[in-house]
Amino acid sequence: MTSVSDNTSRPGKVFPSAQAALDGLTQGASVLIAGFAGCGIPENLLRGLAETDVGDLTLICQGTWIQESGRFGIADLVASGQVRKIISPMPFYPEDGGPVKSHWESGKLELEIVPQGILAERLRAGGAGIGGVFLPTGSGTRFAEGKETRQFDGRDHFFEVALKADFALLRAKSADTLGNLVYEGAGRNWNPTMAMAARVTVVEVDQVYEPGGLDPESVITQAIFIDRLVLTS
Amino acid sequence: MPGPHLDATRMVRRAAQELFPGAVVAIGTGLPCYLPGEFPPGAGAWFLADSGVLGYRGLETDGAAVDAGGNAVALRPGGAFTGVVDVAGILRGGHTDIAILQPSQVAANGDFVHWTTESTQGLFAPGSAVDMAYGASKVVAVMPHTYPQGRKNIVTSCNLPVDGVGRIDIIITDAAVIKVGPAGLELMEIAPGWTTDDIVAITDAPLTISSGVKEMTFNVPTLEPPNKVYATAFEALADVPEGSVINVDGFAGPGGMAHYLMVGLRDVGVKGLQLISNTAGIARMSAFGAPNIIDHSILVENNQVAKATASYPVSPSASRASAFEEAYNRGESKLEVVPQGTLAERLRCGGAGVAAFYTPTGAGTLLAEGKETRTIDGKEYILETGLRADFCIIRGHKADTLGNVVYKGTSRNFNPVMATTAKITVVEVDEIVEPGELGPEEIVTPGLFVDRIVLRPPDFSAYL
Repeated sequence: MTSVSDNTSRPGKVFPSAQAALDGLTQGASVLIAGFAGCGIPENLLRGLAETDVGDLTLICQGTWIQESGRFGIADLVASGQVRKIISPMPFYPEDGGPVKSHWESGKLELEIVPQGILAERLRAGGAGIGGVFLPTGSGTRFAEGKETRQFDGRDHFFEVALKADFALLRAKSADTLGNLVYEGAGRNWNPTMAMAARVTVVEVDQVYEPGGLDPESVITQAIFIDRLVLTS
Repeated sequence: MPGPHLDATRMVRRAAQELFPGAVVAIGTGLPCYLPGEFPPGAGAWFLADSGVLGYRGLETDGAAVDAGGNAVALRPGGAFTGVVDVAGILRGGHTDIAILQPSQVAANGDFVHWTTESTQGLFAPGSAVDMAYGASKVVAVMPHTYPQGRKNIVTSCNLPVDGVGRIDIIITDAAVIKVGPAGLELMEIAPGWTTDDIVAITDAPLTISSGVKEMTFNVPTLEPPNKVYATAFEALADVPEGSVINVDGFAGPGGMAHYLMVGLRDVGVKGLQLISNTAGIARMSAFGAPNIIDHSILVENNQVAKATASYPVSPSASRASAFEEAYNRGESKLEVVPQGTLAERLRCGGAGVAAFYTPTGAGTLLAEGKETRTIDGKEYILETGLRADFCIIRGHKADTLGNVVYKGTSRNFNPVMATTAKITVVEVDEIVEPGELGPEEIVTPGLFVDRIVLRPPDFSAYL
């Protein structure tokens, strides 16, 4: 099993830096960001994005993961004024809002709240070529308001349209140079779904192997969904 | 003066009494996160966090896994990792028995508000609470009775946007246990040192005092994992009712097909079956198999099959008809032809609680006839509905005794998706191992989907 270090010649999908891997991510882009409650965050890619002057971004993510010492999260992108809108099931905790809360309260940041299961299903539909789905969740709540309603099996269902984005920023444990991915623990979270739902999918990984270096029964995300790889530093 | 408010440990210990052996328990963020740690590693319940952790235990200091609240956790033997879209399917698809949430407000009719208070008006943080409350058979609220600063959290009606309508079944607070019923709230238990008057005083909604009101207890039940291992295929399928819808895995040839279970189903002899499968039995007729290989044909020849829903229902050879083809031609069996991708998606949606979906494949062809069409972003789609089954017979490589399954090569095929769609899923494997022996990153079908496990006898032949 050979590990490819970041100073070897670039075989196909492996990029030398986060910034290089974000080429083409432009003003006003929609960006999927994997991670759950601070676990499995593409921290280097977010840092790379913060180093660009790209703004007016729409981010789709589970949360924004409040700033911690030495860690970099979506809250930092919000603090730097690059984010126009966040679509999320839980953008911040009530008692711990940080820059996301303050930017939202001052009207500089738009928040669209979508329950996690609905958001995941919309992305899955987008990635799998499904135009839209009828879901039973959210009945009687603001999440169903204004939506097309239809009965199946005697129960109200609500139309949800598929969701896709320009870029996806993911985090995996290991990849091969083709882009096959395995994750670690709860780091899997949104990654496999988001990998399918973006025009350009960029993954930050700890280690890149030659093809054949990953067990084919254990690959979770297949290489066909992955465009660019960058090693975490 | 009322007694002390219960601490988090005693609140979740009381909540633990709502569990039963084999229960699938979705754990929400906040106080519920303390609950899995109260059970020993081998306890027979599935703890599920929407972060993608399934079968975990207490709060640890370090690790690659976090729970719904972002706390580090460790897996129990037989625990596995999954993605959030699969968690959503487990919740919405009705695979969860109990959801445990910490609402910030619960109303007398069971409405609840999740993680929003007056101080964060408009925050609206549902997380997965909407999915958890929808999908679980029982929803347990674990919450402070008053918080913060004396705010009464159990109210006549919610004054904040709700995340679920009438979904809470029982409320466990730091002072009492309250049942939510059609007639409103009933005080069932009170914490040591408290009186019923104390509880009424801190509850905004009207309370009926149960005639059997008693003091709360904090013993955690022992949950023995239910036995899923059956001695024979016949025993595992003996209760299949007449007319059942049955998912049968397999692709085209013999690979990934539950031959031993098929023989068991034939020997049970139940009639009127409606099979959902990629083929209706063509292994005997195709280049993959041999004339005497076991496939769906043994059920057809035993007059058990009333209908097949399949993508490759008939023999590839015009001159050699399959058993199903002959039965169809004689008018004994009905047929629904579904393209393979649509079939897979219909099964996936059935298992994940998606009632219907718009697919672009098949639009404009014979397969779209009679179906609703819709143009989305300039593209034509047809409406297809989710498929569910009564039973499912699948073929794994290895299972642990909890029902976690791994496959081998392309024999994975329809197995993982079919496993999610049936009321009773029966798996046939080459080897049964103890929980913890399958890698948690490698488990493909989590055990919560599997009800019965049979070992394919080592001397069993796939040929008649």
